Formats: sequence, structure tokens, C-alpha cells
Amino acid sequence: MNDDAYEGAHLGKSDVVLKTTDLEKAFGGLVATDSVSIEVDRGTITGMIGPNGAGKSTLFNLISGFYENDAGHVTVNGEEVTDLEPHERARKGLVRTFQTPRRLEGMSVREAMLVGPGPQKGESIFSLFFSGSDVTEEERTNIEQTRELLERFEIGHLIDQPSTDLSGGQMKLVELARAFTTNPDILLLDEPVAGVNPTLANDIKRFIRELNEEGQTFLIIEHDMPFIMDLADPIIVLDQGKVLMEGSPDEVRADDRVIEAYLGGAGP
Amino acid sequence: MSAVSSWVSETFVRDATERRIFATLGLITVLLVGGVFAGVIGPRFLLFQIALVGMYALLSLGLNVQWGYAGLINFSVAAFWGIGAYCAALLTAPNSPLGLGLHPVFGFLAAIVVSAFIAVLIGIPTLRLREDYLAIASLGLAEVIRAIILNERQWTAGSSGISGIPNLMSWLPLTDAATTAAIVVVLIAVVYLFLRRVHRSPWGRVLRTIRSDEDLAKALGKDTYRFKMQAFVIGSVIMAVAGAFYAHLNLYIDPSDLVPLTTFYIWIAVILGGTGSNRGAVVGAAVVIAIREGTRFLNDIGFIQTLGIDLAPLRLLFVGGLIILIMRFRQDGLLPPKDELIWPAARDGSGADGAPASGAASDGGTASNGGDDR
Amino acid sequence: MIPLQISPFQYVANGVVFSSIIVLAAIGLSLVYSIADFANFAHGDLMTVGAFSALFSVGFLRPMLGDAGVFGLPLWFFLALAFGMGAAAVISVITDRVIYQPVKGSDSIGLLISSIGVALVYRALVFLSFGTEAERYGVPRQGPIPWVRESLGIAVTPRNLVVVTLTVVLVAALHLTLTRTTLGRKMRATADNADLARVSGIRTSEVILAMWLIGGALAAAGGVFLGLEELVRPRMGFDILLIVFAAVILGGIGSVYGAMLGGLVIGMVHELVPLFNQWGVIPVGSRYAAAVAFVIMVAILLVRPSGIAGESG
Repeated sequence: MNDDAYEGAHLGKSDVVLKTTDLEKAFGGLVATDSVSIEVDRGTITGMIGPNGAGKSTLFNLISGFYENDAGHVTVNGEEVTDLEPHERARKGLVRTFQTPRRLEGMSVREAMLVGPGPQKGESIFSLFFSGSDVTEEERTNIEQTRELLERFEIGHLIDQPSTDLSGGQMKLVELARAFTTNPDILLLDEPVAGVNPTLANDIKRFIRELNEEGQTFLIIEHDMPFIMDLADPIIVLDQGKVLMEGSPDEVRADDRVIEAYLGGAGP
Repeated sequence: MSAVSSWVSETFVRDATERRIFATLGLITVLLVGGVFAGVIGPRFLLFQIALVGMYALLSLGLNVQWGYAGLINFSVAAFWGIGAYCAALLTAPNSPLGLGLHPVFGFLAAIVVSAFIAVLIGIPTLRLREDYLAIASLGLAEVIRAIILNERQWTAGSSGISGIPNLMSWLPLTDAATTAAIVVVLIAVVYLFLRRVHRSPWGRVLRTIRSDEDLAKALGKDTYRFKMQAFVIGSVIMAVAGAFYAHLNLYIDPSDLVPLTTFYIWIAVILGGTGSNRGAVVGAAVVIAIREGTRFLNDIGFIQTLGIDLAPLRLLFVGGLIILIMRFRQDGLLPPKDELIWPAARDGSGADGAPASGAASDGGTASNGGDDR
Repeated sequence: MIPLQISPFQYVANGVVFSSIIVLAAIGLSLVYSIADFANFAHGDLMTVGAFSALFSVGFLRPMLGDAGVFGLPLWFFLALAFGMGAAAVISVITDRVIYQPVKGSDSIGLLISSIGVALVYRALVFLSFGTEAERYGVPRQGPIPWVRESLGIAVTPRNLVVVTLTVVLVAALHLTLTRTTLGRKMRATADNADLARVSGIRTSEVILAMWLIGGALAAAGGVFLGLEELVRPRMGFDILLIVFAAVILGGIGSVYGAMLGGLVIGMVHELVPLFNQWGVIPVGSRYAAAVAFVIMVAILLVRPSGIAGESG
């Protein structure tokens, strides 16, 4: 998880981390995703916005493999992942968070964080009995690294708390941290500040930026306009299952189609 | 002595509620032992009951791995138990339809292999799907297995059952009853220690995550199907071992116990004891046996008979009512799990002291090595 | 005289009768799945409760009405059927209010486990009220209809015809309710997407009430017909529960019409097992009919878990 290892691991990889080609998904007669083709460049914080029902969550689910696409392709680092299960895509570097924080019953923040790194030796029962010292070493390393990461995110003091005791915003921070421990090529964040108080939201923004400066690529869905406009570039705009346009925040703000898609109401 | 007392305090008296529970159990134990000395309770009978509790405890531990650790709904507990019992009986009883009269070790081995195989067979179509599919399919499996055992008399002796199953280790200088009770205690200890090791580990952690939110586990790159299958097989094998043990305890088996009610007794043991907690599973088993045997005594009391109430439906009513009440009022059970699932050896010196700061207020607030797995 | 070789169509006829029972039960189960979103393991025992309620009412209906009847079935039987359906509907609603609704969090697994408790309680109450012996409704015995026997070579009693006809009537009534009435539209909307329905102003409490009433009534009808065709036993519903689940899964969880289709198929297969055995298609006989239904269900789970008509993805 340190910077050198991170950069070194990415030498020789393509500039486009994530690419979708003509993704399609329909539910019954309703087309939720209509021939969507996007690209996310390495090292960017790419935003995704669109009015309610535009199909953003559906697209996330298609990209991460939780929905099966009717047609089209998804590639990560140039490698085709369209037929892979969600956990296999995660192993290929495509990691996502969820819109509603998933509180893990009966687990402390520390435990919740420790689920992230992987694959862990201790996840094999065989190793638990025959490679005990390896498991110990890896666990120790992970414990230390999660502690450091939580300290960095200024929630180190919560490490012993049951994860169910955390506020929504704190849980979102934990989720961001945990997703990061998987050492992903791209992090898909699904509304990372929805329902989060402004102070904490600012912290989240700050940490996302910090991680990005160290090389982490993000694709972020958000409804909070000031947040996403300040953070992301480029921004992809979806409407009714199609890509409306893509551009810098200024370009998006000025685009007539975008304004109209938001029905002239609280536009971007 | 201080090591023993700290072990005792971590295993049995984490907080006030637990103190009360274990005190009650301790009192009952004293009463039972006193009863033996007073000549009220036969020692052989008591040992048989202990062995029976042990068997139920094994079944509960097995279900706890499936339901408690991984959230798998398995309604075929009785079937896997039956598979184990019949493997043992068929291979070791001289007058069984197979008539092989082998050493009990082979019975146990067969129980393990056959149950693992069938568990995989039923897991393949169901573990990738929603939890209720496993519930339905396992109920179906239970009925199919019962039907096979009942109908294929040439292999299983059908409803006549198999008798003449040999005792375990008759060469030990203890009575049969004492030997059997001792063996189940050893079995429980082995299983318990095994489960403790695999539970407080990355493996156990992933399972608990899967139980809470399988999608999250997948999003983090965990092959949830593989983990669930492992939990399912381990649990089923433990249940079959319990069954094999029962064959050598009761010395006779027939299909009459392979009914769903037996499965639901174990479910009560686990959820009453505390889903996910190994100690809870054992305590729950003890409570369930107490209920079963207690109601059996009631039947012997004259006035119940004059009321003309049949015992079996009353038990059914009680079991059903208990399930409803537990789900409504105390889903946590008596001894819910409170441990952090972290590899114990990694705790030392890394700053993680292991006890979550939640309401598990242990005396003095210290928990030196993370406490016992429940 | 009884023909020495049973015509294959006889099995088909038996299948149609048995399917009727399964279809009625499967509809109720499917409704609970779609609307209340959990697997109701008490559904089989609800059928038992309905069948025994009807049996109970025979006690006072029969003396009142004598043996006048239609289609070879006395009038009191039809009234007993109605009584049973009503009783099961009411018991169903009470169970929901008292037991399912208060379960904390209402997560579907907690409800599933609670429904197991409810199943045991239903069965125990039936045992305690009626004893363990199997009973009959006391409908006069009937022989097969002669002209059917002569022309088609199969034995079909007037009773069989009544069962099938009434099932068709009930299913048609349900279909009309779902498609033509406001309530029905609300039910379908809630089944599709409960949150959306609530947000659109549909009072889900009303829909849920209707669901339990209809599901309970249909389950009772299935139970009464099963008791009519076979025996009224306390374990009758639970014994058939697996087959009903298989039907719902085959048809696709979430689809009431799928459940009907699934019920038809599973019911037919169940009765055709002896025929398949005769033809050498499968190695087991009628004692394993339930096991065959189970194997089919497992096969569906392997190949197409969403069933014939269920939602995918």
C-alpha cells in the first residue's frame, strides 16, 4: 500500500483503466442502459452525474458485475472482464462501494477493515493449521496498515467501536478506507457523501483528493453538485440510460442539453 | 492458578447475564451430581443423558458453523445426522443388511466421507442463489433421504431399524456408559478447538461478512461461494459425526428420528444459545435436552395423563412457540458472540487488544488475549 | 370391470386433479413471496388448518342440511369448503398481525424462521383439537362416471370434476381480481416493487391484508380438495409443502402466473411417476414421487434459477 509499490505495480499498464463498450441492460420492457460507452483514464477522478432514473447505479452494477449485461463489453486495464463474477472483477482491480453503508453486524471497525486486503493466507483453512506463522505475519501487517490508514483518515479513535455504532458519514469513510486496502486499479464510489454532514463530506473530499494525488483512479457517482464539480474532472453526464455528454465541470455546467435534462430546476 | 482463573473468567463470566446463566447451569450440575449420590438418579442414566447432551451439542456446533458463521439456512440437520448414524450402523453392526461388522473407526470415516459428498451435492445448485433456496432444498433433501432409508429395506432395514451396534472401546476399564460419555466429551473438545481456530481468523471474518452482506464480500474480491461451501461441508460433517456417535450410544437406530422436528430442536438450540456462538450452541443444546427430557417426565405424572393430552403435540406446540418467541424477543439468544474475529497470535504487540469497546463490559476492562471464542 | 392395464390417460387425469390442489397452494405461497417477500414455511400447515376447519364445520352443517346435493356432492360439503376457506383466511391475517409484523427488522430470514414456528404451532393445534387419526369428510362414495369410462377408458369420479372445476373457477376469479379491480392492480404493483408502490400512494397495509386473505382461502381450498381426494390428516399440508415450493420455484418466484404453471407441471409429473417407471424412463416408483419433484426443483436451480416466468438478474 505504500506509494513506491503502488507506482511500480502500474508500470506498463494502459492509460485507460476502465472501458465500457455499448453496454446494454433492459428490465422487462424498460431500457435502463442504452448502448453506453465510456472510458476512465488512469489517475483521474472521473465523475458521473445525471437526474434521477438516469441509470447511474445500473451502470455501476453492470460495470462491477452485479447485474448481467444484455450486450456490450467491460474491460479493465485492457483486459476483458465482461464474463467475470463480481469478486473476480474485484481481483482484477475493479472495486466498488455501495450507496447505503453496509454495517457489519457484530464486527468492530478494525474487523470490518481487515476484510479488505486480499487474498489473505488466513482465508484458507489449510493455512490456518499448517502455515500459522505466515498467517500471523500477514495479519500483523494488515492490522498495522489498517490502523495507519484510519489514523490518516482521522478516525483512528473509532477502531475498536462496533461498526454499527458509527454515524453514516463515518461509515462511508471506513468504506472508502477499506476499499482502498484492496489495492484497486480503479475505485468506483457510489454516492460517497449522500446523507453525510458537510464537515465530514469535506473530509471525504480531501481524502479522495489525497489518494488521487498518490495515483488512485476514481469513478464517482454523486448527486451533490458542488461536491462533484469541485472534485471531478472529467464528468460524464447520463440521462435516460444514455451518455449525454462528457467534459470538464465548466463545460458540463454550460451545456444546454445538461441543463434541460435537469429540467431547468436546480441545474448543475 | 491465575492462568486458570483468567481462562475461567473469560470463558464463563464476561458480564452479569453470563454469570447468571453459568451460575444456574452450575447449580443444576451440582443438583444432578447430588441426586446421584443420594440414590435418586441412577449414574448410568445420568451418564447416558450427558452423552445425549454431548451429541446434541455436536449437532448444534455443526449447525452453528452453517447458520451462525455463514448465515446458511439448513433444514436437513436430521438427515446428515441420519447419514452418519446409518453409516456407522451399517458398517459395524454384525446383523445389518451389509453385515460387515467392521471396527467403529470405519463407521466414522464413512460418515465423514458420505456426508461431505452429499453436502457438496446439495450445495452446488443452492449456494450461489438466495438463502431461502437452500432452506427449501435442504428440507427436500431431508425428506428424500428419509424416504430412501425407509423404502430401501434391502440396504437399510427400513423401519425395523438396525440393532446390535457395538459399543465404542469396550476394552477400556470404564463402564460402557462412562466410556461413551468420555468419548463425546473428547469429540466436543476436538471440534470446539478446531472451530475456535478457524473462526477467529481471516476465514471466519470473511464468513461473518458474507452473513451480514454477501454483496460487500464479493465487491471486496472474496469468492463467497467457496467460503459458503466450506462452511456447509464442515457443518454437515460434524453433524454426521454426531450421528455416528449416536449409533454407538443408543446401540439401535431407526428412521423415526429423521424427522424435521429433530432438525428444529437443533435450530432452537442454536438460536436460543446465541447464533454464531460456539459456547451458546453447547448451552442451547443442554437447554433443549432439558426441555425434551423434562417433558418426558411430565408424561409420567398421572394427572397429565388423565387430562388426556397427548405429549407429542404439546412438545410440537412448545417448540413452535419457542421459535416464535425467540425470533420476536431475543434474536440474540442467551450467549451471543462478542469476540473480534482476529487471529489471536497477531494481536500481541500490535496494539490491538482484541475486545470491542461495546457493551461487553468485562470486569476491570482488560481482555488480555481476546477471550474465548464463543 | 377394472381394466388390467391402466391407460396412460388415467395418470394424466390423476395429474390434473392433483395439479389443481398444488396450483391453489402455490398461488398463495407465491403471493406471500411477491408481496411480503419471504418464504412462508407455514403455508402447508395452513392448508391443513383449512381442511380441518372445514371438517369441523361438517359437524354442524350436515345435520342442518341433510344430504341434498349437486354433482354427487352434498350441499353441506360446499358450505364446509366455504367455511374452511374463511377460517383459514382469518387465521392467516391474525397470524400476520400477531407474529410476522412485530418481528424486529422484518428481514426475510427472520420471517422464514418464524414461519417454521408458526407451522409447528398450527400442526400442534390441529393434533390437539382433532387427534392423530386420519379422517374423512363423509362424502358418499362415488364410482367413476360411466360414459367417461367407456369412451376414454379412464376412471373419473364426479368429485374429481368438481375439484378441477372449482379450481378453475377460483383461479379465474383471482385472475379477474388481479387484472380488473383496483385492488388487484395495487397488488400487482406492490408485488413488482413495494417501495415504489408505497411512494405512489398505494396503502400497502390494504394490499397485505388482501394477500393473506386470498392466500389463506386458496390454501384452504387446496387442503379441502386434498382431504376429499385422499384423507384429512394433520401432516397433510407439511407433507405436500415441498412439492408446492418446487412448483413456485419452477414457475419463478415473484410470478403468480408462473406459480400456476409450475403447479400444473409439478402436479402432473408427480402423478406420472408410476407411468414413467412403467415406461422405464425412471427407475423409481410412486413412493418416490415427492423425491422426483425435488430432483426436478434442484435441476431448475441448476439450469434456470429464476424459473419459467420469474425475474432475472
